[in-house]
Amino acid sequence: MKNFSHLLIKEIKELLNKQLVISLVFILVIFNFIGNVTRTEMKKAMAKQKIAVLDLDRSEISRNIIGALNMANFIIEEKSGEKEKVMEEIRNSSLDLLVVIPQGFGQLASSFQPAEVETYSFLRGVSISGRTKTEVVKALLNSTNEYLSNQYLKNKIPGLDPKLLKAPIKNREFVVVKDKQAEGSRAMIIGALTAQNFILPVILMMIIMYSAQMVITAIAMEKQNKTLETLLTVPVSRGAIVMAKMLAAALVGLVSAAIYLYGFRNAFNFTDMDDISKALGGVAPVLKQLGLTVNTQGYILFGISLFLTILCALALATILGVLAEDYRTAQSLSVPLIFLVMVPYFISLFADINTMSLPAKILVLAIPFSHPFFAMQNIMFGHLNMLWLGIVYNFLFVVVLLWWTTRIFATDRVLTMKLKWRKKKVVL
Amino acid sequence: MAPVLEVEGLKKKYGSLEALKGISFKVEEGEIFGLIGPNGAGKTTTLRIISTLLTPTDGRVTFLGFDLRKNPEKFREKISYLPEEAGAYRNMKGIDYLNFMARFYAANENEAKLFVERAIGISGLGERLRDKAGTYSKGMTRKLLLARALMTRPALAILDEPTSGLDVINSLEVREMIKGFTREGVSVLLSSHNMLEVEFLSDRVALIDRGLILDCGTPQALKEKYQASNLEIVFRRAVQ
Ligand SMILES: Nc1ncnc2c1ncn2[C@@H]1O[C@H](COP(=O)(O)OP(=O)(O)O)[C@@H](O)[C@H]1O
Ligand SMILES: [Mg+2]
Repeated sequence: MKNFSHLLIKEIKELLNKQLVISLVFILVIFNFIGNVTRTEMKKAMAKQKIAVLDLDRSEISRNIIGALNMANFIIEEKSGEKEKVMEEIRNSSLDLLVVIPQGFGQLASSFQPAEVETYSFLRGVSISGRTKTEVVKALLNSTNEYLSNQYLKNKIPGLDPKLLKAPIKNREFVVVKDKQAEGSRAMIIGALTAQNFILPVILMMIIMYSAQMVITAIAMEKQNKTLETLLTVPVSRGAIVMAKMLAAALVGLVSAAIYLYGFRNAFNFTDMDDISKALGGVAPVLKQLGLTVNTQGYILFGISLFLTILCALALATILGVLAEDYRTAQSLSVPLIFLVMVPYFISLFADINTMSLPAKILVLAIPFSHPFFAMQNIMFGHLNMLWLGIVYNFLFVVVLLWWTTRIFATDRVLTMKLKWRKKKVVL
Repeated sequence: MAPVLEVEGLKKKYGSLEALKGISFKVEEGEIFGLIGPNGAGKTTTLRIISTLLTPTDGRVTFLGFDLRKNPEKFREKISYLPEEAGAYRNMKGIDYLNFMARFYAANENEAKLFVERAIGISGLGERLRDKAGTYSKGMTRKLLLARALMTRPALAILDEPTSGLDVINSLEVREMIKGFTREGVSVLLSSHNMLEVEFLSDRVALIDRGLILDCGTPQALKEKYQASNLEIVFRRAVQ
């Protein structure tokens, strides 16, 4: 035990070298920068839109439309005078949307003939906030149309609510999960679940990738610096040497992943956390009613699945590390591992594992890293069989890999196993 | 007196290649025993087996009465191995490296300190021990590693080509370190392809070629037997 902690401290020190610290700081700075830029842009886009209006008609209807726009969350800056002059003025200002209500508009509208308004967008770039201006034009037109059609209906059929006339049928939406049901829309539920879990796959990917990379590096550096032979002759069990490397890699990997995630959230957290929790607050009772929540037992199962997966990654990476002669080979050897983590990551983001064809499903689930990516979903939707199957599968995988790893370290193979890129031949 | 190390009929195959074809020798207490032979003769393979890095295909190795197959951990406790090509952790200071290694062999903190003090003396690196090992020259690294191998006063120090790759001055210094150290009553098993070096260092030598031991004895006795003025000529005549 004394020797183990001694080894562990050395391994952690070796891994926490300058390069790692620099790259982590770099990540934080970059993410912070991205975050600041996007947040400012989003704020601009979210703010009330300022638009210029030139009313050449000055009829009762046109006045009312401007009033309606004011109500519909626009800040109106009214212009007057000749159209050319107003255009010229706006071109030199920061305003980028002008609505012109032509002369005779009220006349046409009140006699139920097609009437036109003109909107002028002043393009000054292609930023996010600029793009949302397109939506503004649409919203503007919708508001105008809504207002006018309501007016028409009110005039033609007094005493009836125009809203009821336009949408006589109302839809009550229900969502059913297994034997439970609740009132709510499918989009709302899926939206809430995605918002709740969107960061989870990233966490998983980071943890697995970082730990694997760390352990490969730890062993490959030992080979590159020619320190492995000496280490293997000191009076410590080979098991302790391997375990110290794995544990150190897992710890440093976890910390790196945490730092990475902190930066990631900083960068891509567009909406305020308040907004999300508010939105979730409304959905939470519905989720509960549907049984789409995770209890303590669920979290424990998820934890087991994650733990086994990390062990798998560590053991696999250890074997790859032994194959590598130096640091650079180690880097290229970790590529297939990263690929194996990316597969379930992308599938969990963009596809539903349960609706995939059987061969595809088997292929994905054969990757030991896949299981925690789908564990939460399986827990919520009660696919406990699949969850347990994953846990048992990963457990067997871990046992075999760890056995193999300790065998490699206990025999000649730790020194004689080699992978030579040039000859493209594996010598085991 | 019983020998410290006894090797009997040692064989090692790498796949189909038979690197050792049954070699036997003994190392007595307090002596420097040299294995000499050309590159590829099987010296490193022999030393790696005794250091518990490789498992023999056949044969027996006994060290202080322990069998290699049954008690490899006893070997590791009492043997120090200096590999042919070895380095130190580049990000560790020389002194930290010595500390790190000492603690595996020491029973307590005080003993570890004693080991390190001794290593500082053996290495002769002085203040440079406070620099990271990554900044050391080849000669300095070799001295650091040799000091760490000798600091625990192992029952047997196994040194594989201790001066390989070093310039004349550094080689000389390393040889002096080894020679001076065994006055303290520790056995050494070393290998070299430099026959003159082995002649200078060793009390007894074994000539090894293509996995077989051709002859064994004190340099003086071998020179007389083959009527040669140095071991290089002895070796050439023994091969014929
Ligand atoms: N890991 C290995 N795999 C295959 N062959 C090896 C390996 N190590 C050594 N050999 C072969 O075994 C023979 C003896 O090598 P070695 O013990 O290193 O010789 P020496 O140290 O005397 O130069 C050589 O032919 C060498 O090519
Ligand atoms: Mg050799």
